[in-house]
Amino acid sequence: MAATSIIDFCRVSFGFSVEAPLFTGLTLTIREGGFYLVQGPSGAGKSTFLRLINRLEEPSSGEILFKGRPLSSYSPPLLRRSVLYVQQTPTVIDASVRENLLLPFSFKNNAHLEQPEDERLKTLLTDFLLLGVGLGDNALTLSLGQLQRLCFVRGLMLSPDVLLLDEPTSALDRESGQVVESMVERLNRESGLTVLTVTHKEPRPDLITPRILKITEGRITKVRWNMES
Amino acid sequence: MEHGILDIGPGQLALALVFILAAGATSLYHGLKLERDLLVGALRTFVQLFLLGYILRFIFHLNSVWLVLVVFIFMIVFAARIIRARVKEKQVSFFWPILISMVISYSLVSILVTGVVVGAKPWWKPQYFIPLAGMLIGNSMNAMAISLDRLLGELRRRRHEVEMMLCLGADYQEASKDMVRTAMRAGMIPSINSMMAAGVVFIPGMMTGQILAGADPVLAIRYQIVVMIMLVGSTAIVSLLAVLLVRRLCFGLGHQLLLRPENK
Repeated sequence: MAATSIIDFCRVSFGFSVEAPLFTGLTLTIREGGFYLVQGPSGAGKSTFLRLINRLEEPSSGEILFKGRPLSSYSPPLLRRSVLYVQQTPTVIDASVRENLLLPFSFKNNAHLEQPEDERLKTLLTDFLLLGVGLGDNALTLSLGQLQRLCFVRGLMLSPDVLLLDEPTSALDRESGQVVESMVERLNRESGLTVLTVTHKEPRPDLITPRILKITEGRITKVRWNMES
Repeated sequence: MEHGILDIGPGQLALALVFILAAGATSLYHGLKLERDLLVGALRTFVQLFLLGYILRFIFHLNSVWLVLVVFIFMIVFAARIIRARVKEKQVSFFWPILISMVISYSLVSILVTGVVVGAKPWWKPQYFIPLAGMLIGNSMNAMAISLDRLLGELRRRRHEVEMMLCLGADYQEASKDMVRTAMRAGMIPSINSMMAAGVVFIPGMMTGQILAGADPVLAIRYQIVVMIMLVGSTAIVSLLAVLLVRRLCFGLGHQLLLRPENK
């Protein structure tokens, strides 16, 4: 495994209020091409940890680097396209499935990206077992599990370098959950996509060796993380 | 200007108090507990308006551009404070953005209207500038408060949608476009409605005043048209400026939404 780091936390502190910091002086390295499971009790800051990496949250002190450069040196929209965060609550706009899938291509920073044809979109939907879903259907009529996969597909089309998944399979049944998980694993293995995923499930590492980031919260919050491989 | 304007003497003024007394009696009889507020309200109306009358007389008499501008700024600062009090927002401080947008748009519209449309010379002639600016500020204050309240509410309520777009490579303008649109529409609808109803449902206040003062209704109408159009125009400009400036404050340098869900 190549030892190059893709994301570095340098003494990062963060808290929603001054009295209750969530992270203090957090230093850690995420390796390029790594597969990380982010674990910890509810409220420990798992989502916040991911949100810090794509700059949806700003550390109160310290610095986060992406490919050796501080996050602030990237244009935020371009950074977020490379370090893609898939929200815990799948969110769509009140429009067709097609419009939702093509939404990222309507933003001016993505204007140069080639917009996929309907054929490609249909294939993607089929790959993710969204069999009964038509491109013309209103996305708001889909079930939570279908929405989760739709949002996942939508993100993948931007071909990110790092994938931040916030409980990507929480609303999925066993079969659809496995489809998503194996797709993530395949992208990690074959394309070298770095993956950080928040999950409560026990890892089933068949072909990949995940590393575990354990976030635990004490009274004065301190982050302990151990790497097991 | 003396044609047919009927004087109201102190005695007649006191007679008007009969209405307040009647309202007070009703309040007592039905236990509405409004008599205190009625009394204070009536007193304030008397004192504030008399004071205004003397101040205006003084300003008209001095006829100084500086004094007119001081009054103008005073009105704006006061309006900005009222809006700040009305929009309940703890996280974003928007006093300066609204002050700046008010100064820019009201200066533009007031000068244009008094100087060019009405053709007062000089453009700051207090008899024209101060009442017109006052109407402008008073009327668009509501629209600004509604727009800002709506903007902040929409951004909070639909934060997942905003962040979804940000995550997919939108900049903050793109991610909040729809919320700005909703906020602007909410603020503008009352002004547009009042244009629709003008002259059919109600006789606008300014026109009423001019007609009571003996002006020709057709002349009064021309003034009223100018005023209504000016009000709608300035309301649109000032709300848009304020909404855009405040929106900027809702996002950080990294185009991240800073508004947190409110603690209940």
